[in-house]
Amino acid sequence: MIDEGLKSELQKQGVYVTSMQELYNWGRANSVWPLTFGLACCAIEMMAASMARFDLARFGAEVFRPSPRQADLMIVAGTVTKKMAPLVVRLYNQMPEPKYVIAMGACAISGGPFKQGYNVLKGIDRYLPVDVAIPGCPPRPEALLHAIMTLQEKILNQKLTGPDRPRHLNADVEGEYPVPTYGPHDLQPSKNSEVWQPPPIQR
Amino acid sequence: METLEQIKVRLEQALPQTRLDILPNECPAGERSLIVESSRAVDVAKFLRDDSQLRFDYCSNVTGIDWPEAKIKTKVKKKVVVEGVEKEVEETIETLRSGHLEVVYHLYSMELKHGPVVLRLRTGNRAEQTHLPSLTPLWRGAEFQEREIFDLYGVIFDGHPDLRRILMWDEFEGHPMRRDYVAPDDFEYEPTPHDEVLDAAKKHYPVAAQPEVKPEVKA
Amino acid sequence: MQNSYLVLVLLAVAAVGFAAAPLALAWLWAKFFSPQKPGKDKNAIYECGLEGKGDAWIHFRSEYYLYGIIFLVFDVETIFLLPFAVAFTGLSAGAFVAMIVFLLLLVEGLVWAWRKGFLTWK
Repeated sequence: MIDEGLKSELQKQGVYVTSMQELYNWGRANSVWPLTFGLACCAIEMMAASMARFDLARFGAEVFRPSPRQADLMIVAGTVTKKMAPLVVRLYNQMPEPKYVIAMGACAISGGPFKQGYNVLKGIDRYLPVDVAIPGCPPRPEALLHAIMTLQEKILNQKLTGPDRPRHLNADVEGEYPVPTYGPHDLQPSKNSEVWQPPPIQR
Repeated sequence: METLEQIKVRLEQALPQTRLDILPNECPAGERSLIVESSRAVDVAKFLRDDSQLRFDYCSNVTGIDWPEAKIKTKVKKKVVVEGVEKEVEETIETLRSGHLEVVYHLYSMELKHGPVVLRLRTGNRAEQTHLPSLTPLWRGAEFQEREIFDLYGVIFDGHPDLRRILMWDEFEGHPMRRDYVAPDDFEYEPTPHDEVLDAAKKHYPVAAQPEVKPEVKA
Repeated sequence: MQNSYLVLVLLAVAAVGFAAAPLALAWLWAKFFSPQKPGKDKNAIYECGLEGKGDAWIHFRSEYYLYGIIFLVFDVETIFLLPFAVAFTGLSAGAFVAMIVFLLLLVEGLVWAWRKGFLTWK
């Protein structure tokens, strides 16, 4: 490993040095391909973000793939109903590693205005590991751009080896998440305890 | 278009022994509707569709309503003679309304460009007599909406070609739009509860739902 | 140049190498860093998130192929009409008649299929 001081000194002289890890993360961070996957009104903002005015292509994320086999990023854009939730989890399972999830909008984060209803999931983080959450109802395209930038930052800081390395580089961690099944009134199980625990209330 | 009264008279002539009622509506729009006996509903609908002056060829909307059993209070003004003086006294009468499920059809005519005529079909009660004749064989557009009413209210449409749940999953039990449907108790904390959610919050998080005690500010 | 075919051999080696090198690198990367994680869902058929039902090997009705063949009429027509339209102003009357005859022949095929009732889906 080259130390940071020497690196910046070399850069001033016009010599760029990099490590395998940096190169790998740089490549991945600038080609995050999302899955073409819209659930509700947030998807309209997602489409707007990929169009000319906001131009998601600046971040290398304009290639919306219609198949999970080629996608790196799942933008959960909209209300996840309980009927849709198993399908979302299965799509996530079908994506190749490394894979990331952006929960876009109030509904995908917490159920939003439908939180106490009978038919809407109270947040996709009950079943999937969410990397970035965007608040808003719906969030503006700029917010989605910011989420992509946040995700890029996260990818750039990932370690290649060691105990802190991400899930997809660790052979011991399972790649699939259990798909919930339909029950008589709710999904079974109603949450994946390994991914999500109810937040402690502090007063 | 003929008025609802004229349509009713012609229906009674064409289909004798059919009980039809006009449901008054006092709201500003004043759209009244025709309550049709469920056993004759298909005949009535066929007449409305095929009659040369009516031609209701388009069923634009099918809705379900749940009427649970309820006590209805109506105020009646009465003139009572008290001690030789005539007085007007308001009296409240309580009547017990039996529960039933109601399906509302809105019919329009594309050919003659008029409408709507509103049909209402009522089930016997809310528990077991929940069968109604399906009007999908007459208006194909009613298919999905009748399925939705079956899904959410539990009205069973006899003669429907494909009566399955449409919004909820097949394993779902109960009919969530009924007034007495009890959703699973999976309340989750939210920072600003109100109304019913506040009651649930008090039940589930007794400490957290109490009003926050603000620390006194010392001058 | 000793052998004039050497260039071609070099080009072929470079082309194959260009295609194979990323694949080999990816394979090496997967071997040393990112482990493969196959699973029940991941290896399943992609059906928009639903579980796959039934078999992909199903029978198509024979009418389907007839439709495919009749579609060729329009296909061939388009291929010939485009250059015809581009060169239209410079063509003689004979060429115009020849093109019309050709179009009529194609239309005749369509009319024949229509009359036979192949266009009605039973």
